[in-house]
Amino acid sequence: MANLETSLKECLSSIDGATAVALVDYTSGMALGTLGGGKDFNLEVAAAGNTDVVRSKLRTMEHLGLKEEIEDILITLSSQYHMIRLLKGRGGNGLFLYLVLDAGRANLAMARHQLRRIEGELEV
Amino acid sequence: MTRVTTTWTRHGTTSEALGALAAEGATGALSGERGIVYLSAGRVVHVESAFTPDLGALLTRSGAVPPDGWWDAVDRGGAQHRVGHRLVDSGRLTAGALEVCHLGALFDAAYFVLTHDTRAQRFRSGAVHWLGAVRSVPVEVVVRESGRRRALLDRIWPDPAIDTLPLARVPGTDTAELPVRRGRTLTQVDGVRTAAEIASALACRTYHTLVELRRLAADGLVRAEPPTAPPLPPGPEPRAVVWDDPDTALLRRLRDALEAL
Repeated sequence: MANLETSLKECLSSIDGATAVALVDYTSGMALGTLGGGKDFNLEVAAAGNTDVVRSKLRTMEHLGLKEEIEDILITLSSQYHMIRLLKGRGGNGLFLYLVLDAGRANLAMARHQLRRIEGELEV
Repeated sequence: MTRVTTTWTRHGTTSEALGALAAEGATGALSGERGIVYLSAGRVVHVESAFTPDLGALLTRSGAVPPDGWWDAVDRGGAQHRVGHRLVDSGRLTAGALEVCHLGALFDAAYFVLTHDTRAQRFRSGAVHWLGAVRSVPVEVVVRESGRRRALLDRIWPDPAIDTLPLARVPGTDTAELPVRRGRTLTQVDGVRTAAEIASALACRTYHTLVELRRLAADGLVRAEPPTAPPLPPGPEPRAVVWDDPDTALLRRLRDALEAL
């Protein structure tokens, strides 16, 4: 049975091009778990910063009166993709998975599909 | 084997006492004015506070685990301190989902214990929580995160009374334009319930609820009721809990267990 650690490991091992992953609480900005990253990429800072991205988008949707939920947010850099996937489910409310991908090696459609599956293991 | 440790008593706040116990790699339960922090080998494994719904309330109120399933796990796993394992083994929850919920409840309770950072009351060396090992977090992370949350909440509306006192709507205010989550939180404000009870009713994490409640207070829609509330009518009174007792959480669980029989 997958625990938090193995779910994060699975993100890095089974998703092509994945270099770092974090599970983040977007109300507080705290990372509940991180894996990968390294000296040149501070995952804690990235997690806290991307909290603002999620909150801002949620607020905009509320202002627009959109009732839909965000499934994922994709940010495309010249050499990386940053994928944010919001966890649904009753207890997982307010959490997102943050995945950093190497643009040269990643298959975006596959990555989204895999992330959705791994997310299922963390949902209540 | 547990060593008898007394250095924590020299510190004037719960967070400093926790730091001392972490440095010693202590195992046991440190009681503060607003809750209990459980340590294992110097790391925080669980925190409970009467000001936040516990893991069982979060899991059962949200419908993630049926109440029967929760109490079955408590019955079968409680004595061996393996309730968490029981829930996972019975297939009611994945290990990852349990860890996520557990961490949520841990940091929610820690916020209350460490925000009201008075002198720790006692340390029961070797005490283990009945939930059992789920995940552990370094003391410094728990202390830092609690401080950060306090700063975030104070930036929204600097009134800590919102966190603990019964909350009431401000009469004559317009609530039509509220975002969905804030509106949903406001519907639970009835002049009697506290933030913890509102979080429990919404099956929502306490910190998330506190954020919405402080925003409602900042908008002038909600205020804390003064502590000199009129006496409650006779009958079963939920507020009969003695808040400053170090074992309030235990008493609450006992009450819940008796009610569930």
